[in-house]
Amino acid sequence: MPVYRIKHVTRYRYEQPVTICHHIAHLLPREAARHVWSSADLDIFPTAMRTDRFDYFGNRQTFFSIQEPHRELLVTSRGEVEILAPATGMLFSNQPWEQARDNLRNMSTPDFAGVIQFTFESVKIAQTAEAAQYAAASFTAGRPAIEAVEDLMRRIHQEFKFDTCATTVATSVAEVFRDRRGVCQDFAHLGIACLRSMGLAARYVSGYLLTDAPPGRPRMVGVDASHAWLSVYVPESGWLDFDPTNNMTPGDRHITIAYGRDFSDVSPLRGVILGGGNHAVHVSVDVTAV
Amino acid sequence: MYVTDQELPEAALKRESERRMILEPQQQSSPINVPDAHLYSSYAPVPGIYDEMMDSQGALRPHWQMFLNLLDDLGPAKLHHRWETARQLIHDNGVTYNVYGDPAGMDRPWHLDSLPVLFSAAEWADLQAGVAQRARLLDAILADLYGPQRMLAEKIIPAELVFGHGLFLRPLHGVAVPGLRRLHSYAADVGRGPDGRFVVLMDRTQAPSGTGYTLENRMVISRALPDVFRDCRVSRLATFFRRFRETLKSLSNRENPRIVLLTPGPYNETYFEHAYLARYLGYTLVEGADLIVRDNYVYLKMLGGLQRVDVILRRQDDDFCDPLELRADSALGIPGLVQAVYSGNVAVANALGSGLAEIPALMMFLPALCRRLLDEDLMLSSVHSFWCGNMQARQYVLDNLSRMVIKPAFLGGRDKPVFARNLSHEALESLRAGILAAPCNFVGEHYVELSTAPVLMGDHVEPRHLVLRLHATCGDDGYSVMPGALARFSGSADSMIVSMQRGGGSKDAWILSDGPVDAFSFLQPAGQPVPISRAGGDLPSRVADNLFWLGRYEERAQANARLARGIVIRLMDQNFDSTAELPTLFSALAKQTMYVAPEGQPVSAEVKLVEILLRNPHANGFPATLQSIYRIAALVRDRMSLDIWRIINRLDEDFPGADKTDPALLDLLPALDRLIITFAAFDGLAMESMTRGYAWRFLDIGRRIERAIGTLTLLAETLVPVVDREGPLLESVLEIADSIITYRRRYTTNLQIPPVLDMLLADESNPRSAAFQLVRLQEHLALLVANGGAAGLSAPERIVLRLLTDMRLADFTALGGIETNDRRNRREHLGRLLAIWIDELRMLSDVISREYLVHITESRQLGFQPAGAVAPGIDSQPLGIHTPRAGG
Repeated sequence: MPVYRIKHVTRYRYEQPVTICHHIAHLLPREAARHVWSSADLDIFPTAMRTDRFDYFGNRQTFFSIQEPHRELLVTSRGEVEILAPATGMLFSNQPWEQARDNLRNMSTPDFAGVIQFTFESVKIAQTAEAAQYAAASFTAGRPAIEAVEDLMRRIHQEFKFDTCATTVATSVAEVFRDRRGVCQDFAHLGIACLRSMGLAARYVSGYLLTDAPPGRPRMVGVDASHAWLSVYVPESGWLDFDPTNNMTPGDRHITIAYGRDFSDVSPLRGVILGGGNHAVHVSVDVTAV
Repeated sequence: MYVTDQELPEAALKRESERRMILEPQQQSSPINVPDAHLYSSYAPVPGIYDEMMDSQGALRPHWQMFLNLLDDLGPAKLHHRWETARQLIHDNGVTYNVYGDPAGMDRPWHLDSLPVLFSAAEWADLQAGVAQRARLLDAILADLYGPQRMLAEKIIPAELVFGHGLFLRPLHGVAVPGLRRLHSYAADVGRGPDGRFVVLMDRTQAPSGTGYTLENRMVISRALPDVFRDCRVSRLATFFRRFRETLKSLSNRENPRIVLLTPGPYNETYFEHAYLARYLGYTLVEGADLIVRDNYVYLKMLGGLQRVDVILRRQDDDFCDPLELRADSALGIPGLVQAVYSGNVAVANALGSGLAEIPALMMFLPALCRRLLDEDLMLSSVHSFWCGNMQARQYVLDNLSRMVIKPAFLGGRDKPVFARNLSHEALESLRAGILAAPCNFVGEHYVELSTAPVLMGDHVEPRHLVLRLHATCGDDGYSVMPGALARFSGSADSMIVSMQRGGGSKDAWILSDGPVDAFSFLQPAGQPVPISRAGGDLPSRVADNLFWLGRYEERAQANARLARGIVIRLMDQNFDSTAELPTLFSALAKQTMYVAPEGQPVSAEVKLVEILLRNPHANGFPATLQSIYRIAALVRDRMSLDIWRIINRLDEDFPGADKTDPALLDLLPALDRLIITFAAFDGLAMESMTRGYAWRFLDIGRRIERAIGTLTLLAETLVPVVDREGPLLESVLEIADSIITYRRRYTTNLQIPPVLDMLLADESNPRSAAFQLVRLQEHLALLVANGGAAGLSAPERIVLRLLTDMRLADFTALGGIETNDRRNRREHLGRLLAIWIDELRMLSDVISREYLVHITESRQLGFQPAGAVAPGIDSQPLGIHTPRAGG
């Protein structure tokens, strides 16, 4: 099964010295089905005061603070992972989506709270009538849940244009609906908003995607970016991933790092700094098949 | 439910005023000076409502008897006098309650009724036990939700109550808390129904307020009625605060933990209480910007460096406390605080995340939770409460909508209750539609006919509806409840809405003791002897900065007032043979206060003075300066004695505001006189009653710099231009600079420029001279440790030394002379020199700020870094092209 090597570098340069900074990184991989990590490290330069912990969703998060004046911050994560093939004979449920929705609420597994929390609106995904309306076309009465989600994914892929300039990190779901364009993060948020409006549990997955070079050109190093897709809970099958940006079910090219209610729960790196003036940031992600 | 900090629904207001009109004839009462009349002779409780003082037969309840007898003994005249004293005390102490969103609402005076409300020991004991149990229950609920979440798995608490809003703080889940408690203080708003039973209307677990106001009410009332208070054997409050202090202290392992009180700042509605409590409990009052996290510890930025903080008593909502892990848009937070809590290096009270337990939706589930978590029955019921996320409850609410009070289910503290019975048919239907659209967001409650208590209205008493806020704190042996409460009453007998903003007020609540009263007071601490110490303690940098500016503004206002008075005296005095110096004085005042004359018709001197003094909108204008004094003094209130604060409060009354009609010169003079005396009192108290610590030094540094600038500016404006007859001008300059007496004694009436310059610039024995200020500054600066602590003179010291040397060396005979060839008729050398000195002093102010006060830099959010952009496929490339995307 494929083995990938990942290198994710984030470099901040500041015009003025930063006297102190506090950051939280979601860059080390969490446990995920079919993922076997043989190594995973995080380097921070300059030397930082660092604490690794698990967040509420079970993701690995790294809190770090640099307490000396600095004009540059360099955060590098490296890892090697093998993605296993899906277990054979896995059952895909034909459960109608209404039943999936209702069963969710009557679950008596110990993980009830862990699942049900993903049915509610979150910081970056407000509940809107628009999302419910858009989703309704896919969620016709009695339709199997998985089929309905696949249909929703296909429609998002067809009706929304991929455009790296149209949106920013702060773009809301409502704006994506209005402009009909965005990037992976926007499409994941949009899909989640639709699924939650139907009463289903849906979460945001942050990770990487191995991409092939355009035909006839060498594969470039460092152009890959972090990727995002969504996951929906169907009681008989568990969590199932869908990538609306590429209209596909993640197989052996998607690498999961973290998941949460939306981007803000799992942003790869964020922080609060004192001083610094203007800053420039450069991110490079490199995923290679070994 | 009836306690609201928000606007009233319009319909309720309308209804209130209509009913008040109907009730008016009943409110007529006999005057108090009828012989043998009791204060309560005309008191008529509302039929069908429980009254705290009278039973339904109109007989006094036994526990009021003694109190009322004592009041009767006092007699109406004496009583009236005591009320006045109490009112004055509240004003003098500056007890206020801020109203959000009301431009004139900053510092609204606190309305306290002079009559306490009384409770017997027996009825209080039950209530107390009920509140203590409730605190224990809510703490247990928080322990579950921030831990194993069994109540969710067992579906005793619906998931919506935890995940359906923003009060469950995920980063705090699983984080250990010292002493295993999250609620170190808890407050319950309690009302009494017609059956005489108490019910809880609202729980407060986030950052319960009210203990400080309770204390202040008690101090005022016990001072107004000391004999009555003693004879009634009222339970004391101090023991509760001692316990609270012990609890906070126990949250740290260190022997002498540093405890701070974190306030959102002076715009918060209960800021008065934060400052008051900080002073009473002996904690440092801090804002988020005063604290910094290093090495996972929290430090307070002090003049002398960083000081470790062990316990934070927060009066700030928890989600605002850390912009890194909680609300990213919070400007009030301390980045890294959650991590410090996680590391066990700082304790926060109440624990971050505890706001979750005060949501109204939870109330309906408390009886079941009490049985499940505590294995007890809930002793003190809540108001009948129905969360509409539950199907049966929703049906009940909709079926009985017109009889319900509807509240948001999750907002907790800031709720806006809707009284359905006051709504029109249309409004009712739209409320119904709103509930059906998002049922989980609403709670319906039964309306409680609150009990009444007598409130003094002029010379008689009238019934007003009552809500009590009870406070609990935890100790080693569980929760204990304060034997007292903040009682609040409605604005009228027919309004159930108890709000400080709607004509309501507050009362002291007296819990009568069966046995002897514990006379513990904080002023005579029991137990270990306190080691003697003379250290004034270090000072937070922000506080030093505020004191510095308080000194500057106070001195600036004083200089303005002195100059204005000089002008008024000359305008009024008919005997002045010449008023040639007036234009010069006017221009000096305009310059001092940055007044720009409007173009247009000439105005009389009188109008001009009023314009410059009272109508000047500039930030350096006189009205703005007075305002700044008040504003900054409020910021450092916990650093000042009550006497100084009283003086600040007087500034407001001493001077006619710009909103009043133009004052005549005749009124302006005594007003300015009073103001100048008030400033003198402030200076005197600052000199005589403040210990020589950092606080006093920074106040004085500010004053000295401003006074030096003021004197130099006055000279630059008056003596640089050459006028015909300089005698009267010199006299007025000396008078304004408060040096005329000394001058006359030295030089009799021989007024000349060089000796005036010497006296006001270089004479180090004259407390008004510029050199005198510099010598004081030198002393202050020598005692401050500059950042870095390098050897030699600090940057501010260098500036002062250079200035002082310049002044000592100046040749005033030459400077006072007039260059014959100068056609502009100005003393150019003098002018240039004064201008340079003024610039240097301004620079000194900046350098001092930089050196000592400003490690207060704003922190900024480094934007979320977005997930990259993976393009949708072009036909031949199902996985698309990658484009890296810059964050920011």
